[in-house]
Amino acid sequence: MDNVLKNPGMKKSLGKSLLYTLPMFLITFMFMTGGRPDFSNPSSSLAILIAFMLVNVLYFLMHYTGKTDKYRVVLFIIFALTLSFTLIKNMVAVRNSMSFSQADILECKIPFCHLVIPMMILPAAFSKSIIFPGSILNGFANISSMVVLWSVATLVLGRGFCSWGCFYGGWDDGFSRMRKKPLVKNINEIWKWMPFAVLLMVALTAALSLVPTYCAWICPFKAVTEFEQVTSVESATKAGIFFSLFAGLVVVLPVMTKKRTQCSYLCPLGAVNSISNKITPFTIKIDKNACNECYKCVEVCPMFALSKENIKDGKVSIFCSKCGKCVDACSKNAIHYGIKGIPAGTMKNFSRNLFLFVSFLFMAIFSAGSIISTLQSLIKLIL
Amino acid sequence: MTDALILGLSSGSACLATCGMVMFPYLMSGSSGVRRITIDLSVFLITRLIAYFILATLAWYFGQAFFSDPLIRNIVPGILYIVFAVMLVWYSIDKSRNPVCPAKIAKTVNNRRLVPVFLGIVNSFGFCPALFIILTKSATQGTIVQSYLAFLAFFIGSSLWFLPLPLAGKIRKREAIMTIGLLATGLAGIIFMIKGLTNLIGGIING
Amino acid sequence: MKKLKIIAGLVWAFLCLVLIIILFPGLTGFSASLSKAPFMKIHPRYSGGEVEKQIISEGCTLDVREPVFKGLNSDRKNGFVQLDWRGTVPDEIRDTVDYNLDGTPDFYVLVDTKTQKTEIKPFNSKVKNVGISTPTSYGWAVRINLTK
Repeated sequence: MDNVLKNPGMKKSLGKSLLYTLPMFLITFMFMTGGRPDFSNPSSSLAILIAFMLVNVLYFLMHYTGKTDKYRVVLFIIFALTLSFTLIKNMVAVRNSMSFSQADILECKIPFCHLVIPMMILPAAFSKSIIFPGSILNGFANISSMVVLWSVATLVLGRGFCSWGCFYGGWDDGFSRMRKKPLVKNINEIWKWMPFAVLLMVALTAALSLVPTYCAWICPFKAVTEFEQVTSVESATKAGIFFSLFAGLVVVLPVMTKKRTQCSYLCPLGAVNSISNKITPFTIKIDKNACNECYKCVEVCPMFALSKENIKDGKVSIFCSKCGKCVDACSKNAIHYGIKGIPAGTMKNFSRNLFLFVSFLFMAIFSAGSIISTLQSLIKLIL
Repeated sequence: MTDALILGLSSGSACLATCGMVMFPYLMSGSSGVRRITIDLSVFLITRLIAYFILATLAWYFGQAFFSDPLIRNIVPGILYIVFAVMLVWYSIDKSRNPVCPAKIAKTVNNRRLVPVFLGIVNSFGFCPALFIILTKSATQGTIVQSYLAFLAFFIGSSLWFLPLPLAGKIRKREAIMTIGLLATGLAGIIFMIKGLTNLIGGIING
Repeated sequence: MKKLKIIAGLVWAFLCLVLIIILFPGLTGFSASLSKAPFMKIHPRYSGGEVEKQIISEGCTLDVREPVFKGLNSDRKNGFVQLDWRGTVPDEIRDTVDYNLDGTPDFYVLVDTKTQKTEIKPFNSKVKNVGISTPTSYGWAVRINLTK
């Protein structure tokens, strides 16, 4: 893990931290147990207990230590790993393989993922239909519920969805933390606009070809979820592309640069979420009076959201995913969570507490299912 | 014609990035309001359209003459697509590329009313990698109508970028939009590279 | 003005808090409401189109779906018609299909379900070739490529 500086301004006492954790404790208890704890199944009960303790201990530590990113990333990575594990396990159980067949496409059995959303907007507007072989309302990851979840999350968190909600982000976030120092430091700023170019191209190509082109041809995360059965030169080419992109953008480049390169250089949904950063009330603010321009925050930012010019202007760019790494790194408490309308440097604690509750609650509940399912499988394996 | 439209939409931004900010003052000079700007822009676009139809005709006849053999019809365009696509990708990311538009030569035109016509001709025949790609596509079409349709799709895609030109001064984040457009051009180049490879492999397998 | 901005920011932040709290308990209801939106149906290119005709025989039903030519906002030149055999599918499927309901057969289809080999004999120039032929959870599905 990164060696971040202490942030004494955000630390709370033990009692206060427990108090702040209480609402999270109660709400996650309600969601994980359905309000009626059932101890008849030992493996299920143990899995729920471990998941419950995990999320609440992490949330407690965020308040007690004053550090955000250090604990956020633990749950974020666990979410990514457990989701892949759960998906792959279910697919192998049903189909005996990670790939889906033509029959699965014809029967509209493909689980929907929020990355499809940018590509379905134009076709939905013109053809009044969804260009995805999934289920509208029934079953796991149906289209309606995924659209509702993403829409609300992006409205509330903006690009914070990329650090608190996206079940793929944990992969490149995790790999970006493997080294203590980056091997590659100076990266041309022009590349941070690539997700917008990708968004433009996939939205156009999807509308014209009626195929979700990012999913069909590019998405690197097919390497850890599911992909089209390789039965032709075309499907083999697609497999080659996504495996290469996973290796390059999700593993190698994040390790070398300590940046989230897949999210910053490719993901078209990240581009959409950046735009929604304009409407969310939560933001990162820079208190220019407290800032000593050490630029540690610029160095640690994994999303290219900060630059020396930003800091001097006291503004954070639309690429900010509110991960909290800069906040944790700042020794002067100059860069902090804020609420739009409230001047920088004021109501820091209040803004952080409110943002943390909203974002962590979303992540905790969204990830609970896959964490519990994975734990159940592991417990069954052990016992 | 989907790929022609996409090529036009993505490369039109690169065209605008180099030429737009030069053309606009000429289009605006001596103008007396929205009506004059609209007429100038319309004349410019119509001239481009006519020039493209001429190019489509020439390209198709060239294709008929040299790409009559089915094997050559796949392999040669396949190679050309790959070469021009690489040029297009390089064009989009090359920092040392000269951004000066040939439209600057419009300074030498005395008659104010001929400026949009002249700019339309210069812009259409300013051979760039995107135009090479669409010429290659046009040359491989089965009928001359298909060749015209390809150029029409390319024209429509690229012209959309010129339409907001009169509002250019008011658009914030112009630089970011231009950067995105240039990167999209590079991505379009990659799409055509894959198309070229598919043609080439198909030609080799069938040959 | 400054106070107004602060109040607006706080109100919006608290509204977001409420939204997140009600999101998960209300997810079923919100999803059900969204599913009723006019655009919330699967494009026929993926769903196969509406079932136009059913032919019931011993243990097996053949669903002949509407031909699909739908594009982005208008019909395309090339499309397909999907046939679904539901129930106990025989080793060899043989059917003559009239997909456009004009009373005249349009093609004859032969599927060997053991080898997955599928052949068609078109009686109509608009019938082109076999697009997809695959076993499914309900039986068998075939898509025949057509032109308009």
